[in-house]
Amino acid sequence: MTGSGYQFTRTLAAPIDLNGTGHYVHWGVVQISVANLVVIALMVLVFVLALLLPFPRGRKRG
Amino acid sequence: MRRGTRRAGTPESSAFPTRPYDLIKEVTIALVLVAALTAGLAALFSSPDEPPVTLGSWSRADSADFTATAVSELGGTSTTAQYGPPYNHTPGAGQKIGPVGLQRFAGVRIPIDTANDFVIQPLRQAPEPAPVTAALTTWNTAPANQQQAWTSAYADALGKAPNGDLAQVPPGDYGPVPVLTARLLELAQSGALDGELLTEGTQFYQTDYTRPLLFLGDGTYFAGLAQDQHLAGDQWGMMNETGNYPGQAWLWLYTFWYQIEPFKSSHNADALVWALMALLSLVLALVPFLPGIRSIPRWTRVHRLIWRDYYRTQQPPR
Repeated sequence: MTGSGYQFTRTLAAPIDLNGTGHYVHWGVVQISVANLVVIALMVLVFVLALLLPFPRGRKRG
Repeated sequence: MRRGTRRAGTPESSAFPTRPYDLIKEVTIALVLVAALTAGLAALFSSPDEPPVTLGSWSRADSADFTATAVSELGGTSTTAQYGPPYNHTPGAGQKIGPVGLQRFAGVRIPIDTANDFVIQPLRQAPEPAPVTAALTTWNTAPANQQQAWTSAYADALGKAPNGDLAQVPPGDYGPVPVLTARLLELAQSGALDGELLTEGTQFYQTDYTRPLLFLGDGTYFAGLAQDQHLAGDQWGMMNETGNYPGQAWLWLYTFWYQIEPFKSSHNADALVWALMALLSLVLALVPFLPGIRSIPRWTRVHRLIWRDYYRTQQPPR
């Protein structure tokens, strides 16, 4: 790759590179990637927040 | 809507308090937020960037596995050769549920003769050195049992050679098989075989990768790469992605069944898991009609948490 092409690719590269060896959690028959665990935890968090956060109060009509 | 007698104590819907609600505003805000989140995460993490695996890269990385697979294609002993429908008519092959042969129902829709389609025809399409032409003639004029004997003997010899090294295969009665597979290896390493298998289809646009993928899948190299990336069926691979990217977490239940008996060791696992998931999906669709299951929301009382302001103002039941 030429110098300018290399620089261009470097500029476009993602700040956080998730390529590489994956990390996995083993628990008996269960095998799950850390990335999937994070996503599932975030989904559960959003669900709990949706339950617990109060409804925004709109203006009362008339 | 009024239906029959209204339950005692339940007020008319018009009696509930109302408030203005701007649905368009909410949809617009949700759309903009999700679009910004998607663009932000894509810029931050990008996407999986695995190099493609081709017949060319496979044959250059593991020529022994490529040659052993080519011999099995020629001898009709590979997974594809014995798969049954939709590729061929292998007696007794195919997934079934009880007596119902699901694969047989679909029939042979993509006929593949591995010896001819994966080995002989590509050799014919490429420029033929004289020894290859002679080897092809010998192969084509030999009876089927002689062809089987040659491929079987060469497969055994390859299996016994140190590291599958072609140069260390002892001399034997292999017929034209070593010449044919050596030429196929040359074609694959040059990248020509990828193109040849791609053009065996009948479509004008060459986008049907069925043949190269089946050939690739018959070897152990591709399966080894999948194993390294936790993508194999016995590794919950259906819900995984390469590297450290999140995968299809919502397929957890589908892939879960493959990890436990009796599915784990069953040759019919695909059909059985599909049937089980279809049944569970039906149960999910029929939840409102299933006594007990339909009462779970009432027992868990999650709705009272969501509408806690309303229930706080209600009189406790006597």
